[in-house]
Amino acid sequence: MDDSQKTPSIDLKGRSILVVDDDRVNLKIIGGILRHEGYEITEAASGEQALEVYAEFRPNLVLLDVVMPGIDGFATCRTLKKTYGETCAPVIFITARNKADDIVMGFDAGGVDYLTKPFRPKEVLARIRTHLSNQLLLEQLSKANAAKDRFLGMCAHDLRNPLSSIRGLAELMSENAIGPLTGEQREIVHTIHSASQSMLQLVNELLDVATIEAGHLKLAKEPTRIADIVVRAVHLSNIEAAKKSTRIELVNRTKNPMIDVDRIKIRQVVDNIINNAVKYSPRGSLITVKIHADDASSGFSVSDNGPGIPDNERHKLFKDYGRLSAQPTGGEKSTGLGLAICRKIVEAHRGTISVENNPGRGCEFVVRLPRLR
Amino acid sequence: MNFNGSILLVDDEPHIRKFISLLLRHLGVKTIFEAKNGDEALEVYQREKADLVLLDVNMPVMDGIDTLRGLKKINPDCVVVMLTSLANRQTIDAAAKHGASNYIRKDAPFEEIGRALAETIDTCFEPEGPDAGAPPAP
Repeated sequence: MDDSQKTPSIDLKGRSILVVDDDRVNLKIIGGILRHEGYEITEAASGEQALEVYAEFRPNLVLLDVVMPGIDGFATCRTLKKTYGETCAPVIFITARNKADDIVMGFDAGGVDYLTKPFRPKEVLARIRTHLSNQLLLEQLSKANAAKDRFLGMCAHDLRNPLSSIRGLAELMSENAIGPLTGEQREIVHTIHSASQSMLQLVNELLDVATIEAGHLKLAKEPTRIADIVVRAVHLSNIEAAKKSTRIELVNRTKNPMIDVDRIKIRQVVDNIINNAVKYSPRGSLITVKIHADDASSGFSVSDNGPGIPDNERHKLFKDYGRLSAQPTGGEKSTGLGLAICRKIVEAHRGTISVENNPGRGCEFVVRLPRLR
Repeated sequence: MNFNGSILLVDDEPHIRKFISLLLRHLGVKTIFEAKNGDEALEVYQREKADLVLLDVNMPVMDGIDTLRGLKKINPDCVVVMLTSLANRQTIDAAAKHGASNYIRKDAPFEEIGRALAETIDTCFEPEGPDAGAPPAP
């Protein structure tokens, strides 16, 4: 790799390292080398002292001798991992014990790396640099991800209300609520309406993703009959579907066991899957919605007349922004977020969502939710 | 919609008031009062005694739930329908607990808002229905 392609080096000056060794001379030598590199160093002469110093100093990395009087390096490492869990700094062992078994024990104890004495300073520095970089990048990544979710949530929140007002006002104008419109005015109002409608949908889905990703998806479960949700969804979707001369038929509505779900969230799943079926089926199709139940689960399925799911695109289907090659048949918009949100909601209910291609044409989405017992 | 009463619309965002009030007029409501915050809502309600209050949940200073409690203090039979933008279960339950009759999602398509409103009015203002305690439509 020539110099121009090098990734920018990460500035690690000032990152802190706890050096643990019962040999004062070793501490001095290693400490000197690391200080020279610009790291901030704290020392401990035993496992017990290391635990104390760690708690106070909270280093970014621990360089840990194995053979020490009192608790040894492996035990010290295990205690650190147990106490600090995910947030524990990476531990590198540095020891004269160099048998393969020792090395494996070191990794078992939770170490990220293993250096043997006598050590070569360049190797020690290179490995420390690698682990400090990883640790710093992980830290930055999780901060950036949290900031992204916060931003997304805030942004979506503040855009929603104005957008729904714009859409509502456009709808009212096209209903002649403020007087009759000319043909051109009607066309403009229609454009405002459909543009704000698709923006609103995008914003809603981004908001859902942000909420779910931030771990804020809270389910307000209550005993519910699945058919109550499905019947209503089919009724409402039929109004939209009629614009494409498509009909949605509900069969099996007599099966109706109780499930324990968040009604609003499950309604969103039902709506989304039925709307997808309408969106990707040719005009004038028949879409079949079934309610089903067995001993353990109850749910619904939606069978459409669309192009089905190509095998090589199947893996993208329930992922964020997983748009497939199939195009909506009535100029509808797609964000690629709908099914990813459905999957997250269904899985939060400990249910499953799956899809199979029909023998002839189209595919069938099946959602199963655990029955209330 | 078969409703001759008056409605007090409370929302801090002017575009929402514009949209909902136009929708109400479109549905045939003749008398609409508007308030842009909780304090103003209580003041207008005290003065005008609207038959129905449409009340935003999320408002700065005095939020929808506090305003709802204030309204119920003035008139325990006051009919209040909450306006929400995110149907948050906790908020909906809290509103129901404090005597809200229903909630409407203001980000729904206007036909759905209209339908929800008509439903509420039908249940709360049954002219000669079994629920004689409900305030009669003037």
